Amino acid sequence: MSSENLAILSEGVELDFGNGAGIFDQHYQVPQGTILGMIGPSGCGKTTTCRVALGLLIPQKGRITTLGRNPARFRAADRERIGYIPQQFVLYPRLSVAENAAFVASLYGMPARRVRARLDELLAFVDLSDARHRLAQNLSGGMQRRLMLAGALMHDPVLLFADEPTAGIDPVLRARFWEYFRQLRDQGRTLVVTTQVVSEAIYCDYVAVMRKGRILAVDTPENLRRMALGGEIIDLTLKNPEEVHRALEVLKRWKDVVRAAHRSPNPDAEADIHVVVEDAREWLPEVLNRLENQKPRISVESAAPVEVSYDEVFIRIMEQDQRAQEARHG
Amino acid sequence: MADAPLIEKTVPTGAGHGGVPAWRRWLIRARAYFLKEVNEIRRQPLLIMSLIVGPLLVLILFGATYVNSTPRVRTAVVLPPGGAPGISEEQIREVIGLNFDLRAITTDRAGAEAQLAAGDLDLVQIIPENAANALREGVSPQIEFVSNAINPLVEGWIQYLAYAEVNEINKAILRATAAEAQREASTIRVRVVDAEGKVSELERGVVEARAQAARRDIGEIRTTLESLEQALPSQEFLSAQGGESARLRPTIERLKTNLDRIDRAIADNKLTEALAEIAAAKNDLRALNGSLEIFVNTPPERLVSPVTQSYRNVRGGAYPAVVYYAPGVLALLVQHTAVTLGALALVRERLMGAFEVFRVAPVNLTQLILGKYLGYTVFIGLATLALIVAMTLLGVPLLGNWLLFAALILLLIVASLGVGFLISALSGSDSQAIQLAMISLLLSIFFSGFFIALDSFAWPALVVAYAIPMTHGLAGFQDVMLRGIAPNPWTWIGLGLIAVITFALVVLITRRQLLKA
Repeated sequence: MSSENLAILSEGVELDFGNGAGIFDQHYQVPQGTILGMIGPSGCGKTTTCRVALGLLIPQKGRITTLGRNPARFRAADRERIGYIPQQFVLYPRLSVAENAAFVASLYGMPARRVRARLDELLAFVDLSDARHRLAQNLSGGMQRRLMLAGALMHDPVLLFADEPTAGIDPVLRARFWEYFRQLRDQGRTLVVTTQVVSEAIYCDYVAVMRKGRILAVDTPENLRRMALGGEIIDLTLKNPEEVHRALEVLKRWKDVVRAAHRSPNPDAEADIHVVVEDAREWLPEVLNRLENQKPRISVESAAPVEVSYDEVFIRIMEQDQRAQEARHG
Repeated sequence: MADAPLIEKTVPTGAGHGGVPAWRRWLIRARAYFLKEVNEIRRQPLLIMSLIVGPLLVLILFGATYVNSTPRVRTAVVLPPGGAPGISEEQIREVIGLNFDLRAITTDRAGAEAQLAAGDLDLVQIIPENAANALREGVSPQIEFVSNAINPLVEGWIQYLAYAEVNEINKAILRATAAEAQREASTIRVRVVDAEGKVSELERGVVEARAQAARRDIGEIRTTLESLEQALPSQEFLSAQGGESARLRPTIERLKTNLDRIDRAIADNKLTEALAEIAAAKNDLRALNGSLEIFVNTPPERLVSPVTQSYRNVRGGAYPAVVYYAPGVLALLVQHTAVTLGALALVRERLMGAFEVFRVAPVNLTQLILGKYLGYTVFIGLATLALIVAMTLLGVPLLGNWLLFAALILLLIVASLGVGFLISALSGSDSQAIQLAMISLLLSIFFSGFFIALDSFAWPALVVAYAIPMTHGLAGFQDVMLRGIAPNPWTWIGLGLIAVITFALVVLITRRQLLKA
């Protein structure tokens, strides 16, 4: 992808705070008009990664461009194109919803006339129109989060950083936030969203899995799943459990398609087999044909792609990284 | 999930300012902080009330209840066991009650001292035994003052009042002595006139060679002079009166010498020499008579207190306490409000993480600090205006130029905000900022000249005093409001320096903090 179409391009970025803290050898790019989710445990460097991309921290090594410029040398005009929702609540309790949002807009140099027009639009967007004159100190946690989103969008940024915007809010509101984000993405904005909630990966166009300051993998959620599991899994239930052994031999011989085949990890399902292929939906009919065409025929009672949770995908990636590190260090 | 309303489907430009010129965007950003501060403050009516009404109520209470600055010293007088002969209780009450709150006149010294130790009395005065005899014998009797003061100012007052009381007693004694001397001198003066006649007779006796009679006359005149010498007050006292009174005793001495010489001349039969001395004695007797006349006719009060005083205040009189302290209250209000608001201005936002948002946004430090300064300045300016109006209703004048007055208030606000912002920049928490603001208040009360004059301090304290905006504000307000003159140039220079130095330090420290945010 041409660098002109990238909102962020990070090449070997490193910022070492000492004692293992910091970010290390970060390579990633964020295409314009996409959502990049940064997922990882607390303290893994998500916020630091955002702060480097925002120009708040200067890397010791590597190169990073945000909206085509080195963020350490951002001018006011560059900053006017970026929105930011910090992890902490930055709301003034004695200001109303409208005043809080207008304050942020004014920091970006928006004239009052435009603030008024934009405010109506955004308060409707985040469902806060009725709370327009309510003081921030009287808002619920979810409303405060929505107000921060509205504030960050007031100046119509092309790139929005949201640092754990869904932390500590209920699943319904969390889903709603992702709906907002996807709408913003659909308008052509680029979003970088950090989260500790692994299941939120599904809402992102790209996901960066982070551990101890490093980006272990950055790809689409589907590709990450494939990467973690070695492909996609088809769950087969044979009519006759005694044919499991023969079916496994047949599938394992079909090396062009089948990457792995083994009994289901569920001990109660004697007749179940898990088959790993690159694309479960594409290869499911072929796998069924291959078994049905055996002589004697291996009858399949049911077959379906397995939906492995992103929690498991995340854990597997972490474990793979752990093993790789242990291998490196003997 | 219900669909969220979509925002307008336009391609984001990242240019929310919509082509607004850069200079205007700069002002909009500074205004953002200004409006935020104003909106936050106006949502705190209790704060506004406490800032305006609080100091005003204190001032009114002070003005309505302040009596005078002299402390009431609860005093007991201890008389000798036999009392004070010749002095009535009424006289004691009159003299001592002038400066002290006389609670008891007793002969029980131990009891009075026990009350003193218990804190029921502030002072015990012990009158010596046989004061009158001691005086007659030329010994100075001593009144013993024993206090248990713990306040250095009160102790100073007691010592001063004791001095004044003893001074009054001394004057009363001198008045009585002088009156007595005048009475006796008046009687002796007749004999002095008579002595003048005797000198003439002496002259004739000498001429007629009646030596026996002449020497008798000399003896009579000498007796008269000695009586007069005894009756007159001391030479120190007479010298203090100056003029004729001062010459009384020297003239008597000269006359006595004359008489000795005349006596010797008669004995030696030196007629010419005796006549010359007699002529001199006649002149001296005449002069003595004249001096006595003046001494006798001078009021005893003038003899005791020859120098009097007159006092005139060019303003007609000093202001009542409530008016005099009003400029100080105003300066204290302006400074304390500015320091307190300023002290919380940066630390709260730094702790809540707003600095991070400010760094991401295209705002700079100058806009941040200027906007905040402006917001607080407007608020404090309005609060000050309200207080000035209230003070005017209380009769506090503004004799000077109101433009100078407004400029001085503005400069005091800015300088005080500088101190507050500096506290804010240095503080690690809200409570630390408040604590430092309170310390600045204490410093201001002690070292600004509000209650204790700056002259009372050694130079290290003056360094602190001149670093306090209120010190300059107070002096300037007193000049403009009460004296009707322009503030001293050092007032402007002092406030200006504080404003500039604190602003520079705030910018320096906050810039570093922003970079760490």
